[in-house]
Amino acid sequence: MSDAGRGRAVQEERRRPGLRVSGIQAGVVMALAAVAAGEFFEVRPPDAYGICMACHGRDLLDWLVNNWSSARWPVSQASLVFPLLTTVGVLIGGFTAAVLSGEFRWHRARKPLKSFAYGVLVMNFALLAAGCATRLLLRTAAGDLLGLAGFAAMVVGVILATYWLRWRALR
Amino acid sequence: MTVGAIASLVVGVVIGFVGQRSRMCFVGGIRDYILVRDTFLLKGMIAFGLVAWVAFPLGGLAGGVPIAGFGRPVFMTLLGSAIGGFGVGYVSILANGCPLRQHVLASQGTGSSVYYLAGFFSGVVVFQSVVSPLAVRYLP
Repeated sequence: MSDAGRGRAVQEERRRPGLRVSGIQAGVVMALAAVAAGEFFEVRPPDAYGICMACHGRDLLDWLVNNWSSARWPVSQASLVFPLLTTVGVLIGGFTAAVLSGEFRWHRARKPLKSFAYGVLVMNFALLAAGCATRLLLRTAAGDLLGLAGFAAMVVGVILATYWLRWRALR
Repeated sequence: MTVGAIASLVVGVVIGFVGQRSRMCFVGGIRDYILVRDTFLLKGMIAFGLVAWVAFPLGGLAGGVPIAGFGRPVFMTLLGSAIGGFGVGYVSILANGCPLRQHVLASQGTGSSVYYLAGFFSGVVVFQSVVSPLAVRYLP
């Protein structure tokens, strides 16, 4: 973010005071929610399944398709009877917070096709690694070696992509 | 199982709310640290990992279902995880946020994230009709 952009963001924050949550607080709340969901509220099996934006979205979509047609698309065991609704919940929660703080605003997409393609790619990679960025970290924390491998690879990918973005911006 | 659905809806609302207020992103932390040495999101990500690492065994002691243990990695699953993880990280940075962040952005009206989500769910169909059969056929 440029200095001007950061200044604007700070001004905006001053104009509309709302509940402020720091990164650490968010991380703690999310981790506790994820562990509690998995260990006490039947968001399992598989293990460490408390939060996963990719797998839970896949479960929801596949469950709906299976319900409406004769297709048998794969869903995780946790979503056999009724699908996990994390995706819906995040949209509701984010929308509520945005409206309450006055941050809800429509922004038109400048490159819709590009965004669409990124979505397709991330979903495919996430299903290949069995976890979105959040669940890879969650699995690592639960002691899954495969999760650790996926998370380490993700960190490498993030670092390379960031340097690539910077190289392209400075070129 | 229905308990799981309701619990996941509640968890979703909570992390969506908290994520919107904090702009939490699981790839943005590393990016911000490299670009502007900002540790706001990075600390959040580390806090998530540490708290989950401590809370998993504690939850088991407190009467929760403990982690049953994970499959031993073999070369092919390791390869899948590595390719998948790398792709998630790389493309998420290009897309300007991890999947969780994109859901939150879409919920606060960002058009590009709405298109991202459309692609995200189309990606399931692509995975199941193209990528998964290919992987099953060519990977042992």
